[in-house]
Amino acid sequence: MIRFFLLQNRQGKTRLSKWYVPPQSRGTHSVEAEKTRIEAEVHRFVTARDKKYTNFIEYNNYKLIYRRYAGLFFTIAVDVNDNELSYLETIHLFVELLDSYFSNVCELDIVFNFNKVYSILDEFMMAGEIEETSKREILDRVKDMEKME
Amino acid sequence: MASQARGLQNFISDLRNAKSKEEETKRVDKELANIRKQFTPKGGKVAEDGSNPALSSYQRKKYVWKLVYIHVLGYDVDFGHAEVMVLVRSNKYSEKHVGYTALSLLLRGDDPMVNTVLSTIRKDLTTPSTSEKKNSAPPDAGQSLALCSIANIIGLELIQALHSEVQQTLVAKSSTPNVKKKAALCLLRLVRTSPKVVAGREFAPQVAQLLQDRHLGVLTSAMSLLYGLASQIPDDYESLIPYVVHILGMLVLKKACAREYLYYRTPSPWLQIKLLKFLQLYPTSLVQTPKNGNGKETAADNAAHITQLTSIVSKILTETDVSDSINKSNADHAVLFEAVNLIVTWGSSGPDHLRDGAMKLLGKFISVREPNIRYLGLLTMAKLAQLEGSAESIKKHQATVLVSLKDADISVRRRALDLLFVMCDTDNAERIVDELVAHLVLADAAIREEMVLKIAILAEKYATDLRWYVDTILKLISISGDHVSDAIWHRVVQIVTNHPQGDLQAYTAATLLVAASPRRCHETAVRVAAYVLGEFGFLIAERPGMSGEEQFRILHQHWATSEYQTRAILTSTYAKLANLYEECRPLVAPVFARCKNSVDVEIQQRAAEYASMREAFSPEAVEDLLREMPPFEDNKQSALEQRLRDKEGDDSAAVVKAARPSAAQRERAAQSKAAARAVEEVQAQAKADDVGPIEDDPVSPMSDGSPGTNRPKDRTQKVGIPREVIPAMRKAFSNLCTSPSGVLFENAVLQVGVKQEYVGAQGRISVFFGNLSKKPLFHFRAIVEDVEHLKVQKQGTQGLLDEDENGGCTVAVRTQAKLLLLVEVTAPFDDAPAMRVVFETEEGELHEYPLRLPVVATCFMEPVTLEPAAFMQRWKSLEGQDRECQEVVKAPANAPTIDEEYMTRISRIVTEGLKFGRCQGCDPTPWTVSGAATFRTGAKDMNGNNINVGCLVRVEANPQAGAFRVTTRTLHPLCSKAVKNVALVSIKLSSSP
Repeated sequence: MIRFFLLQNRQGKTRLSKWYVPPQSRGTHSVEAEKTRIEAEVHRFVTARDKKYTNFIEYNNYKLIYRRYAGLFFTIAVDVNDNELSYLETIHLFVELLDSYFSNVCELDIVFNFNKVYSILDEFMMAGEIEETSKREILDRVKDMEKME
Repeated sequence: MASQARGLQNFISDLRNAKSKEEETKRVDKELANIRKQFTPKGGKVAEDGSNPALSSYQRKKYVWKLVYIHVLGYDVDFGHAEVMVLVRSNKYSEKHVGYTALSLLLRGDDPMVNTVLSTIRKDLTTPSTSEKKNSAPPDAGQSLALCSIANIIGLELIQALHSEVQQTLVAKSSTPNVKKKAALCLLRLVRTSPKVVAGREFAPQVAQLLQDRHLGVLTSAMSLLYGLASQIPDDYESLIPYVVHILGMLVLKKACAREYLYYRTPSPWLQIKLLKFLQLYPTSLVQTPKNGNGKETAADNAAHITQLTSIVSKILTETDVSDSINKSNADHAVLFEAVNLIVTWGSSGPDHLRDGAMKLLGKFISVREPNIRYLGLLTMAKLAQLEGSAESIKKHQATVLVSLKDADISVRRRALDLLFVMCDTDNAERIVDELVAHLVLADAAIREEMVLKIAILAEKYATDLRWYVDTILKLISISGDHVSDAIWHRVVQIVTNHPQGDLQAYTAATLLVAASPRRCHETAVRVAAYVLGEFGFLIAERPGMSGEEQFRILHQHWATSEYQTRAILTSTYAKLANLYEECRPLVAPVFARCKNSVDVEIQQRAAEYASMREAFSPEAVEDLLREMPPFEDNKQSALEQRLRDKEGDDSAAVVKAARPSAAQRERAAQSKAAARAVEEVQAQAKADDVGPIEDDPVSPMSDGSPGTNRPKDRTQKVGIPREVIPAMRKAFSNLCTSPSGVLFENAVLQVGVKQEYVGAQGRISVFFGNLSKKPLFHFRAIVEDVEHLKVQKQGTQGLLDEDENGGCTVAVRTQAKLLLLVEVTAPFDDAPAMRVVFETEEGELHEYPLRLPVVATCFMEPVTLEPAAFMQRWKSLEGQDRECQEVVKAPANAPTIDEEYMTRISRIVTEGLKFGRCQGCDPTPWTVSGAATFRTGAKDMNGNNINVGCLVRVEANPQAGAFRVTTRTLHPLCSKAVKNVALVSIKLSSSP
């Protein structure tokens, strides 16, 4: 299952973070502080990697599956026995969703519409599992809900 | 796309424009203060629930969104919960939406605030339509929000309160697909925290219902739930296999899939993967009829499912191709690797052609450039390697894997390392370990610890010669000492201590002494050296440059640069050295004296106790205290395996591999067990002939294996030594140990004869190989394995000593091949050199006989005549510890009674067989025979004199019990053991009718 989903820019700003399994608090570190620490570490890892490398990083007792789109890094942390390539495409499907919703998404769209991005993510995955893989189904749903606002 | 509240936009903008972290924090603090003010009503008129009733809906939403944003940025938000609750309770969807989002992000399951909205959540969950119909909003909006937030903020109380509602919502006919999807995943979330909320057997039919839904989104979520449930209790859901196979068949075989679920033309890869993962929970599903509660499933149905499943997997395997689109290629390969995983779980119960196909594909994948595919190829091959019978085909790829070990990407290197670890076995262990050690020099810090650990495990597992294991660990210490954990060197100590056979202990002591000789050497090396020399240093003390005093000097040069833990070990070693060697005492005493003031309490205590021990206790007690440590208990799991498990989890291929004992380990375990058993049996005065200790004795006529050689094993079936000739062989060998000539081996094809003579430390052994068959023997070779304690010069019939297996000589009918060995002994030993005889018959049948040459320690004895007083004095001085060996042997029931004539035979065994000088005066009664001899070696000490070992033996008979007790005392434990062994076999031989 997915432990967390991260969207970070090259400078290390977290644009989206969704934790399905919150980290253990360590010593004096609260859960929130631990999340921040891990997010910073993940950023360090993914930005340091060459394009020719795999999209997988073995990290603690789980795996990071990451993909870079322009200046944005999408990272999913999954269990070691999860299917790496399918999560690589999970990232891509999510990017396609954002792309359709914002018509050619850029970082600023995500910054200013962070709540929309969360809504889309909530229709896409839940409880650390993929919920729906039809783009049309997800976007229709998000738009239906918007009409109510 | 709905527009955002302006205030929120501005706030985000401000933060984006912040030039530094400080500026951002300042802006956030300002905003938090503002929101706090907004939430506190002017005039203090707070509503019942603690919220500010004066806020408009727009304002409340705006401020809560801001709080959420601040939280997302990583700042603590510890207020505003009351306003969030107002939003959650609202009847308007737009407010509810913000409320639930904030609830999920800001609250955790154990937050007491959760309880205050529990009833609202329940209401939303169980009421399908919201009151707000005018905007044609989906009627399930409220339900969806409620489910989503339950999944997000899980807490025990929430589970207790809501699991049955979630379960009902999941299976309710009225639930929309959207609600079903969310309810399934929500329930999964609940089950992960408290597995007991779902009763598997009753729930399985309801899952079956879900699996018949036409909506692929519902199926995707339902499969996640099913996989989660079934991984907890697979048996409860086994009846669902047919449904799963059916869906998979639709997707893979019929490509029946709604357009919108095609992902780059592949029918929902995510669903396919979940289906395949579920099937992996049932490794025997191909051979067993699933247990089915309602009994509707017939054998024919089952067979149909098996056929269908086989063709699905076969299709995935054969029709996956690289495509132009990376996304399509990834999706297809994702499914492919999952199918291979399924084949791996089936193991040998799966069809051969699928396993072969998988192997072929993986072989291709591990050599492609595309890093992801290569990574997954390595990973999956390591899983496949665990299957029986896969080893040979995987080993073919060894060279390819080694290339990946040098990849720039650490993820790939890790997988390559793991695969090498898994594919390692007795045949290729030396090559792989050497490669890994060579690579360790270049490896970066990130992977070194892992490599060191794995190398250490492999070296131990596959050492056919434990000296190689010791060498390997030493190399690890010198290359990467910082990564050699205590657990690793402790293991060395354990293994060396527990294997007194052969010369391992002396070898280790000598090797470590050399390793610790340079001024600069890793501290871990000093620690092992200190410990091992303390225990076994005496075994090498007579070698040039390795006396006790020199051992002390070499160790002590590291004292100043060592940590306290190392010094503590050194202190104990010094105490042992001082006890054994007079000349060390004045060297050690000042060290102890200084240590009494050490800041480290442990060292202070050790030094003080060791220094005063001699005055405080009797010499025997001191001896006892400083005696070598007893063998370690043989833990089933070594500390190293535990470490690996901690790092990689129980399921990793490497852990499974490490836990399985290797052939070499089993053999070693069997040896020590057999040795223990032999002792017990003799003590219980077991039947002497059948299963006497000789069978497991190191001086057994059969070579037990192949120390330090890699011989090709697999070529063809070999003919070994037939079982029925073994007893005769054993007898012949025992006989030859004490007589100058005789037959070592004989069967219908071959006779091996031996003639031997010895002078001092040198011997001349002729071996004759006679062809007794009616046809010539081809490629006839005799391989005498080199042993450390013997310098051997070999001459033989042309070709006989060839190493190449296509070489060798031809032995014609009724002729002989000859081998002449000139040996010189250089150190005490207790086994006999191994000799393999290999040849081929005309029919191409390959014969291989592992034999042992009867070159045993007693061959090199020179009798010594001692006065009774001198004998007794020496006898006493050698008492105890391992300088003494004792064993009882009982004559078989049909043996002649022990009388005086019998005792003359025993006396002859001692004088002529063992080559000891009889010491008459020491044997007041006819029932004892005492003797003395010197074991001559060709090694020189520092003064250029030959190193010799004094040996004493005593055989005591108990005519009433029909038993003999053999006691040997020598300066060297191996000598004691060797003499005892030869004495025992000779006595047994003499008593057999």
